[in-house]
Amino acid sequence: MNCEVCQLKELEVEHYEIREVLRCILHTIIFHRALGLVRPKEIDLELFEITYVQCGDVDVEKKIDEKIEQFICWVEKHPNKKSQICLSFFEVKNKQASWFTNKIERLYWEQWYINLNVAQQPKVHSSKSYSSKVVDPGENAHEERSVRRATLEASLRDVLFQIIRFVNDKKEHVPPIPNREGVISFPYEITIPSSSDSAFGMDMIKRMLQTGHPTMLS
Amino acid sequence: MASSHSDAARMEQIITEFFAKSLHIILETRSPYMSSRNFSGEQTVSSPSSSSSSSSSVRPRDKWFNLALRECPEALENLDLWRQSNLEPMVVDVILVKRSLDWDPINFSPKPELPKNLSSKEAYLNCWNSDQEELGTEGQCEKIIERWVVQYEVRKTKGGGKGGKRSSSNLLSLLYKKSMLLLRSLYVTVRLLPAYKIFRDLNLTGQIRSYSLAHRVSSFAEPFTRREEAEMQRFSFGPVDTSCGRLCLSVMYRSSLSDVSSEGFTPMSPQFIPDYVGSPLADPLKRFPSVPMSHGSPSLPFSRRHSWSFDQYRASPPISISPSPTYSEPYAPTSNPCRFPPPSLPPHPPETSNRRKDNASFDEYCPSPTFSPSPSPSPPIYIPGSHISKVLLRSESAPVNIPTKKLQTSSLKNPNLPPSPPLKGTRGGTPRADKTMVPTQLNATVEKMLVGKDDSKRYTGVKISISRSSSRSFHEDFDESELTCPFDVDDDDIIDHGTRPESFDQKGCLREPLEPGGLMPMRKSQGAAVGALINPESGSPFGVAAAII
Repeated sequence: MNCEVCQLKELEVEHYEIREVLRCILHTIIFHRALGLVRPKEIDLELFEITYVQCGDVDVEKKIDEKIEQFICWVEKHPNKKSQICLSFFEVKNKQASWFTNKIERLYWEQWYINLNVAQQPKVHSSKSYSSKVVDPGENAHEERSVRRATLEASLRDVLFQIIRFVNDKKEHVPPIPNREGVISFPYEITIPSSSDSAFGMDMIKRMLQTGHPTMLS
Repeated sequence: MASSHSDAARMEQIITEFFAKSLHIILETRSPYMSSRNFSGEQTVSSPSSSSSSSSSVRPRDKWFNLALRECPEALENLDLWRQSNLEPMVVDVILVKRSLDWDPINFSPKPELPKNLSSKEAYLNCWNSDQEELGTEGQCEKIIERWVVQYEVRKTKGGGKGGKRSSSNLLSLLYKKSMLLLRSLYVTVRLLPAYKIFRDLNLTGQIRSYSLAHRVSSFAEPFTRREEAEMQRFSFGPVDTSCGRLCLSVMYRSSLSDVSSEGFTPMSPQFIPDYVGSPLADPLKRFPSVPMSHGSPSLPFSRRHSWSFDQYRASPPISISPSPTYSEPYAPTSNPCRFPPPSLPPHPPETSNRRKDNASFDEYCPSPTFSPSPSPSPPIYIPGSHISKVLLRSESAPVNIPTKKLQTSSLKNPNLPPSPPLKGTRGGTPRADKTMVPTQLNATVEKMLVGKDDSKRYTGVKISISRSSSRSFHEDFDESELTCPFDVDDDDIIDHGTRPESFDQKGCLREPLEPGGLMPMRKSQGAAVGALINPESGSPFGVAAAII
């Protein structure tokens, strides 16, 4: 089985926008893969005029929020860095126990890469610097922010449509829906960059080896 | 042979339900709901809380494609009216209706082009001329802002029928799974297109707008002019292949609706003015004659930008006796009347004994078709009030019954297969839905609207928005006690469907449509609808009335 990979368009976000943007994207993807009986839940973003859809599963919501918080912590420690969050869907195969390993094998069949470029956020606004931003600079900053926000909203819509197109164009690789209870049909994991970049990279290489990524095969 | 016949029937049913589901998804976000009360007249409070935790039963039709949607009576009505064979495309036009500035709703006269007879193609053509920009009617102009096309294209060569090495059951599973994916995408997409914002604005804000949304479902539509096409964008969903053809879904939409949103409306603070005409207290239920199809202009203030919950829409669901029970039923007789092999069986063929049993049941429960598909295209259908009765008469002629335990013991253990048909044919009994027969006129939801011509005159009036859900008027004719869901009797059957039972309320009570939605009752709004105001500065001949609630 091949693993379909989707690299989503990179988004330039500010720190305070991370949560909403990631929730929107992650939930949209998962909604498309939650093929159990779903009663969808519509959520309006506060920062953008976008309504996205959740599958309504409380555990999913919790898991996503946890990962987002972890990601935000990572971003705070690694400012001004491009970052990538990976949402993967896999099948669990019970690997035959051997001398060396008794592990359950994960066969990844789909991976989504969310690419974010988090703008540096000045953490503390001293009263001095704030008060120095009077009228004109403040207005300019406000305008710039509006323009940037509008651009980000358009880009976020593009990303959502990118997800929709990908889901529609590629359906063959989706495994048969397993007989499992609940809304979520397929196990998934969200990988955020770990504290060390190299470890993150190793995770990705390991995953690619497991899934037999085309580029890895000769 | 029997196996291939039943597989073909199953495929037909999947396709039929796909049409129904896609229409439901589209209209639930394009048909602003009008009702301000639930059936018991209680005020309902919209809750931003999670909808998934609400005590909602799983209706039989929810199981289709594993997507449980809000009640949408418009979808049911339109589907009843449209229902063609699966070979006919389903074209859903979403129409932006803008009222012109000098429209006086008090003296509003019906559009002369309103067809008196829905079957009259001439009337249709008169009403929906090729220039979609304007109708000849005074007071409003209409523009198609979205056109959805759902169709099943049959492959001319039957080569696909063999399906290679795949068994037909596997093919069905694949079809069903891909349909689920497509419908999920559709659900997300309808909320990303520009028209959704208009829908939300109409539903959630308390301000009166000079525009509203209408829709039309037909099996053909006038093609757009080149100019119109140039203004629209197209998005096509990936088709779903079947053994004999493919399911296609696409949309053309106007990417820019800025001219709508930029029009002036002014939120007004409530004020009392002494010399207004048409006090809502005087005649709160005054109905304007022949108001055309419902256009959403709700008067009730809702806070915007909050998480929606399923409950919010419970106001709109009708006493779903008529639409709900007949939702699936009309389709069942046309192709695969009743039966679907119990989905608890694996997707592979050996459904032998059960299937034989089911076939026996099939014969036993097969009702006469509700209506036969029309071979020729029918004119597009929209529903002025007087025609709702016809709609419901048609839909309610379908016998409605509740799946018995015998039929429903099969739980949805195999999610790759569609659910058993939720509604079976009659066993000869009169459906309970017949009791709640067709209302002769639509119920009106009272809203307030300030109407005036110029600054020199000050009017307030009551704008009556006609609900397209005819079943909402049931409560006028029947006691609440009668408005019980016919499914109540066999609640246990619903529980037994086995679809993710822990996810939903196991009571399986299909009183859900009776549960309060998110809007306030009409009577209360009447009492509160005293405040009327005019904004002479707005420049519009009719000011904006705020619903004071």
